[in-house]
Amino acid sequence: MQKQRLMLIFVTLLTIAALLVIVRFPTRLGLDLQGGAQLLIQVKPSEEITQVGERELAAVKAVLENRVNGLGVSEPIVQTVGTDQISVQLPGVSDPQQAERVLGGTAQLEFRKQRLGTDAQLQAELAVRQGLLAQQEQLRTSGDEAAIAANQAALERSNAAIQALFEPAQPTPLTGKYLRDAGPQPTQAGGWEVVLRFDAKGGEIFADLTKELAGTGRTLGVFLDNVLLTAPVVGPEFAETGITGGSAVITGNFDAQRANELGIQLRGGALPLPVEVVENRTVGATLGRDSVQSSIYAGVGGLILVLIFMVAYYRLPGAIADLALVLYALFTFAAFKLLGVTLTLPGIAGFILSIGMAVDANVLIFERTREELRAGKTLYRSVESGFYRAFSSILDSNVTTLIACAALFWLGSGLVRGFALTLALGVGVSMFTALTCSRTFLLTAISLPELRKPELFCPNLPKS
Amino acid sequence: MKLHVIQQRRFWWMISLAVILSGLIAMAISWQQFGAPLRPSLDFVGGTRLQLERDCTQPNTCQQPIDLAKVRQVVAAQGLSAGNVQLLGAERQGVSIRTTTLTVDQRTALQSALDAELGPFDPLRTQIDTVGPVIGRQLLVSGLMALIVAFAGIIAYLTLRFQFDYAFFAIVALFHDVLVTAGVFAILGLTAGVEVDSLFIVALLTIVGFSVNDTVVIYDRVRETIKQNPTGKIDAIVDASVNQTLARSINTTLTTTLPLLAILLFGGATLKFFALALIIGFIAGAYSSIFIASTLLAWWRERSEAPEGGQSVSTPQSEGESS
Repeated sequence: MQKQRLMLIFVTLLTIAALLVIVRFPTRLGLDLQGGAQLLIQVKPSEEITQVGERELAAVKAVLENRVNGLGVSEPIVQTVGTDQISVQLPGVSDPQQAERVLGGTAQLEFRKQRLGTDAQLQAELAVRQGLLAQQEQLRTSGDEAAIAANQAALERSNAAIQALFEPAQPTPLTGKYLRDAGPQPTQAGGWEVVLRFDAKGGEIFADLTKELAGTGRTLGVFLDNVLLTAPVVGPEFAETGITGGSAVITGNFDAQRANELGIQLRGGALPLPVEVVENRTVGATLGRDSVQSSIYAGVGGLILVLIFMVAYYRLPGAIADLALVLYALFTFAAFKLLGVTLTLPGIAGFILSIGMAVDANVLIFERTREELRAGKTLYRSVESGFYRAFSSILDSNVTTLIACAALFWLGSGLVRGFALTLALGVGVSMFTALTCSRTFLLTAISLPELRKPELFCPNLPKS
Repeated sequence: MKLHVIQQRRFWWMISLAVILSGLIAMAISWQQFGAPLRPSLDFVGGTRLQLERDCTQPNTCQQPIDLAKVRQVVAAQGLSAGNVQLLGAERQGVSIRTTTLTVDQRTALQSALDAELGPFDPLRTQIDTVGPVIGRQLLVSGLMALIVAFAGIIAYLTLRFQFDYAFFAIVALFHDVLVTAGVFAILGLTAGVEVDSLFIVALLTIVGFSVNDTVVIYDRVRETIKQNPTGKIDAIVDASVNQTLARSINTTLTTTLPLLAILLFGGATLKFFALALIIGFIAGAYSSIFIASTLLAWWRERSEAPEGGQSVSTPQSEGESS
């Protein structure tokens, strides 16, 4: 009895915790439910780079992140998939066409000279952009689409204004195709700098460019997809020959992270790797909402039918199983939120299905209990051995389902994985609720004299 | 109610064979028509599907259903083959157009042309799916791989927990369930134009993980009964085990299919056929556990066991190979 009281307290605490989690944590809805565009971008090898490796993929990802930021979408997700694909999720995007167009091009890196006498303007514009970027960061977390779009428009104007302060490089533009490599490097003073290496031709153009700029105070603008990445000043000591030898360092107040970021961005621009949008799944916001609603209605409807069936067929244990089932739904939902599981349509299906599985364990136990009762055992012994005997069936059947889930999760793609994860989580939680909650409730119930009646467990029991 | 599964096993086997055979015939016909055993959706063959719904909040927009011929005209005017155009919804205010893979510009042109001719369409109710052919193949390959890995995992686990011949017949039952489900969808593909998408592969895998449950529960009972009664005849043991677990089999199938039935009837369009596949698979799963896996096991043990019976099972591995 002591043990059951402790378990009851434990389950109650768990329920309270689950409710708190459900109230406090946000529900993450997949794009198929909240609407938005999901693009899969294939990185293709080029003539120069015949193999897309980890380094190249990271560089292309950085380029795509830049572009995604330029779209002004709240909470975008950019992830690498496998060895040569990048998945981009744009929740609530209003113009999938534009997104696809912007993301699908090859990166453009360009080095440009600042125009004469634009120093003050550049400083002012950079400050404006800094402010807008900080603001955008804040807005993204707020999710206010209209404000984000307005701020994005301002950012674009600011970027255009900055671009106007630089001249297009003439006669030969220095572009990413001449850049061999770029990356962070520690300085002797303990800081960080970014090294650039050009090929022979690039080295020449770079020397010419820097010769012109050296000592004038004009900066060398490095643009990725027409957005200024950095604008270093060329020191007066290079006025004679420019920076020769095909390599250069950009110094500044870099920390390791920022130096690394700039290195990746530069490499991304240096990569002449074409990208292609190979998959685009866009769901309108309202359409998504409708599917959530009808699926939730269906799920709840199905659940209610199951609850009714259980009471009608199994009587008191059925009612107890129902209680455990409701707890199961609460726990699983809380676990989804706690683990940050993104709910997709198949995910909801997996959840609803796992309700069916959660019932199965109870059905197994109660059928066993009835058998024992029919065999003439006492109520307490019957309930105990019902749990005991059913355990191996429950374990084996759930493990086989988990094996299938593992295969799906391991080998499946996005949607499939969501389904596998929710189903597996559900199976795990259902074992817990069936074996502990149902058991505790049942044992507590039969400790009350008014509930200790075999006919509440098994109708038409032959009188012994 | 008491089932004599062993006595009537040939009858049950015939039913399954008939269902599977008709499915296989449907798959063969599908193969000739679509080059695939089931009518493949965009997910597997690649292409673009555009689903648009009219914006009915504005006055004078949704008085008449969309004119299918006009949609075809617009599509053709864009230089695209109007292969698969369907009207959607009870009011016929939605349209779904499936074409070869469109570039962004082609798609934009088509969308604005449709909007001008038949619109205005509601961008919030628009669905665009573009899948490259490579993706479709990846999906199919990864799906089949997952299926094979799941099979292998289940065989390994069941061999560990039971014996190899149990595991083998559980897998036979699984093939049965997968074939029945796929067969029904092949027939639906031919008669009702139902396409299978990546969710169908998910459904098959779920059926695999799920319907083996039933088999395991019966096996568990068989094993337990053998333990209590080591000299009993296997036929009688299997018969008794099936009957002891029958109520559970029926009830569980009922409680799992009830929510699915709810989704089939009231859920969103995407999940409808997913739910249908699962319902068919689960019913086939319950059937195959009772009438296929257990009867085959009894038949096999009856043949291989010494007449005195008992638990003298020799090298289960070689049994499996010889079957």
